[in-house]
Amino acid sequence: MAQVLILPKLGQTMEEGAIVKWHKKEGDPVKKGDIVFEIETDKAALEVESFFEGTLLKILIKEGITVPVNTPVGYVGQPGEKLPDAPPPVAPAAKPEAPKASAPAKVEVSRQATEQPAASRAVKPALVEMPKAGPSRLFISPRAKALAKKRVIDSANIRGSGPDGRIIEADVLAYLEKNGYSQLRISPAAKNLAAKEGLDILRIKGTGDAGRIMVHDVQRGIAEKPKTMSKMRQVIARRLTESFTGTPHFFVTVSVDMTKLLAFRKELKDRGSEFTITDFILEAVVLSLQEMPVMNSVTDGTTVRWHGTVDLGVAVGLEEGLVVPVIKNADSLSLKELHDSAGILAVKARDGKLLPDEMTGSTFTVSNLGMFKVEEFTAIINPGEAGILAIGSTMPCVVPVNGKVEIRSMMKITLSSDHRVVDGMKAALFVNAVKDKLEDIELWKSLT
Amino acid sequence: MEKFDVTVIGGGPGGYPAAIRAAQLGASVALVEKEELGGTCLNWGCIPTKTLIASSELFHKMTHSAGIGLSAGNASFDYSAMSKRKDDVVGKLRGGVGMLLKANGIKIFNGTASFAGRNRITVAGDDGKEAAVIETGATIIASGSESTVPGFIPKSDRIVESKAFLNLKKLPSSLIVLGGGVIGCEFACMAAQLGCKVTVVEMLEDILIILDADVRRELRSNMEKSLGIRVLTGKPMEKIVAGKSSVSGMVGDEKVEAEMMIVAIGRRPVTKGLGLDKVGIETNKAGFIPVDDYCRTSVATIYAIGDVNGGIQLAHAATSQGITAAENICTKERKKAEKLVPSCIFTSPEIGSVGLTEQAAKEKGLNIKTGKFMFAALGKAMAAAEERGFVKWVVDAATDQLLGAHAIGAHATELISEAATAIRAELTAGEIGRTVHCHPTFSEVWMEAAHAVHGTCIHAAPKKR
Repeated sequence: MAQVLILPKLGQTMEEGAIVKWHKKEGDPVKKGDIVFEIETDKAALEVESFFEGTLLKILIKEGITVPVNTPVGYVGQPGEKLPDAPPPVAPAAKPEAPKASAPAKVEVSRQATEQPAASRAVKPALVEMPKAGPSRLFISPRAKALAKKRVIDSANIRGSGPDGRIIEADVLAYLEKNGYSQLRISPAAKNLAAKEGLDILRIKGTGDAGRIMVHDVQRGIAEKPKTMSKMRQVIARRLTESFTGTPHFFVTVSVDMTKLLAFRKELKDRGSEFTITDFILEAVVLSLQEMPVMNSVTDGTTVRWHGTVDLGVAVGLEEGLVVPVIKNADSLSLKELHDSAGILAVKARDGKLLPDEMTGSTFTVSNLGMFKVEEFTAIINPGEAGILAIGSTMPCVVPVNGKVEIRSMMKITLSSDHRVVDGMKAALFVNAVKDKLEDIELWKSLT
Repeated sequence: MEKFDVTVIGGGPGGYPAAIRAAQLGASVALVEKEELGGTCLNWGCIPTKTLIASSELFHKMTHSAGIGLSAGNASFDYSAMSKRKDDVVGKLRGGVGMLLKANGIKIFNGTASFAGRNRITVAGDDGKEAAVIETGATIIASGSESTVPGFIPKSDRIVESKAFLNLKKLPSSLIVLGGGVIGCEFACMAAQLGCKVTVVEMLEDILIILDADVRRELRSNMEKSLGIRVLTGKPMEKIVAGKSSVSGMVGDEKVEAEMMIVAIGRRPVTKGLGLDKVGIETNKAGFIPVDDYCRTSVATIYAIGDVNGGIQLAHAATSQGITAAENICTKERKKAEKLVPSCIFTSPEIGSVGLTEQAAKEKGLNIKTGKFMFAALGKAMAAAEERGFVKWVVDAATDQLLGAHAIGAHATELISEAATAIRAELTAGEIGRTVHCHPTFSEVWMEAAHAVHGTCIHAAPKKR
């Protein structure tokens, strides 16, 4: 009996995922543990292993399509085996399986029976969300459509005069006339390229002789075409917009004198110790959060919840976007343990191997742009948190020390706080708590 | 002191058209030339070499005409007479340039130009004394380039560069050509056609390395097999010695020896004495004057065109840039210099090339198709007993756009202009294929090769699947 491959739920917050790549073709043999497909969730790309042995009989969900978790995506069975007429229904998502923490970003597909009551056949891939394919449906007559195609213009730009705004041939002709199509000059290759890319040549500015549209003009048009952002980018966009528009942010900055800490770190390094400045910053934040639990809270506007643990998010910039791996229970880790988990998570993040659960549930976040030569910046609070600390670069600055001018290594840190739970005074106390710790060498001597 | 709107430094194929265009647009124009009007092209390059090649080619045809039912058994040549005709042609053309400049009201200063300021140029005579001072609005530097002869090459009458070679009244019986570039290959073919024993030494892996690989293979095979030229590539020539009766050197383990040697390993820009430092123009590492797309130097009123700006070192590129620079100075509209420049090489057989080679297109990651047609399959080529070579289109697979054209064979340097027109206009292979070409002509080859792109050749058997 054919077995159903489903889109696994890989974490408590995962609701849907897109299949970005099938590693097997229909008809390919599949062994238990083989990677059959790759999915992209709002957090990461993950490889999914087969729990079954046999042949990949059918692919139900093609690459690039987003479906809810537990949606059947394919069948594994014996060659020649008869498949059910309709895809099996989506299983209720009541009991999510926790991903195996030890396996690096590989998850086994849970077993599921194919036989389902006939009534549930109604659940067809109607839930499937197709990749955005331009604007909503256009009503256009076949003649008009053919003419628009031949003239390499976009019918979406034409107003229809037929019933229900249907575009008829006369509308296309009027559009061409109104926009001076007969005066348009375009090179043959440019026209072919525009046709292939579905561009409207009336919307392209020509830079050739006498305003002739040349290939490079069309190429500019192609570059300007809107493209669908990656799933990751879309999620970043949605979450940050929600946070920035829904949370009243305010910002408090202090300068931290890092001169002594840098010297101490160099001393440690010479002794063979691996601690980094980032470790010290994270530890200083964790300690300060324990002193001021209000910074480690979340509000919905009517209630406030103080998190019982410090789960520290550390923003990691990647080429394709941003991920925030979470150091769980950071308040119970030694500096060494903090260093180790931060290191492991950063490597996983860069390799795209973070599991969804390793990217959710942070209670406070640190974003460090120190290596990118910025004096200071402000960060947007991650949903579910009350603050985020933005770390600038450490730079030599002229500062007064005991009434004298000195050059010290200064680092600006900026706290963004949710004003619904955190007031200015609290924010000021918090940033100064972090500052005081970083400037207190005796503290680091005792911790290292 | 005299005042002009535009001053052009150099009267070569870049400078004199620039001066004429500026005058046409109403500017008062001065042109400074330190040697001869017409520059390298007219005096020591394109024109004299083509005059000699016209003779050598015909001689070679005459002595190899048994196949077409002719016999010219006692054919002989008089190199000094060939050389004299060359001087006559050059003289006539040079006179023509002078006449044109004069007719356009352009004042010619004989001497060496040097900037005294951004708007002031001094002209020094042969004696080095300042002969004139020019106050100018804009300046176009068109000072060109000259042959490079590196220091490791001994000084001797037996070792010449192209300019000195053209002054020879007698052709040596054997010749080493150091450098397998355009100049080297043209001289090699010309000398070999007149019976000279020629050895070409090129340090790079092949001669004319910038050309399409198919074209290179065809040329090399013709030079070696039809003209008996020895072509040594991939190794430098070392231990060069100029003796009393010969020049010799080592290429790898092999000793190469000949009566004379021509050095054609590159050209360097002429900027010495221009006083660029006085106006704040810095040359790049190779000594060229950097310019933007509009041929402007770092100084707003000073332009540089042709060989001296380090772009494409071809006379017609310089002419095009010169006209563009003059228009950019004298009109309100700013135009970029043309980027698509065809090249022509007067080897045997001739070569014409424009746009991307197959290799360059692939390196750019373009998805391309090619279409090739052999002259051996073309009626006119067969009738004219000119069956060597082929043409080749390089075409964008998605849009059918013509990206490059390469021709080797009889009249290839003439044929390439049709391809250049088509590529500049961004035509497609389909359109060239549908354009009616005269029959029987060599030009038909472009139409046939365009059909070949789509596998719809009439005069070639379908490819076996």
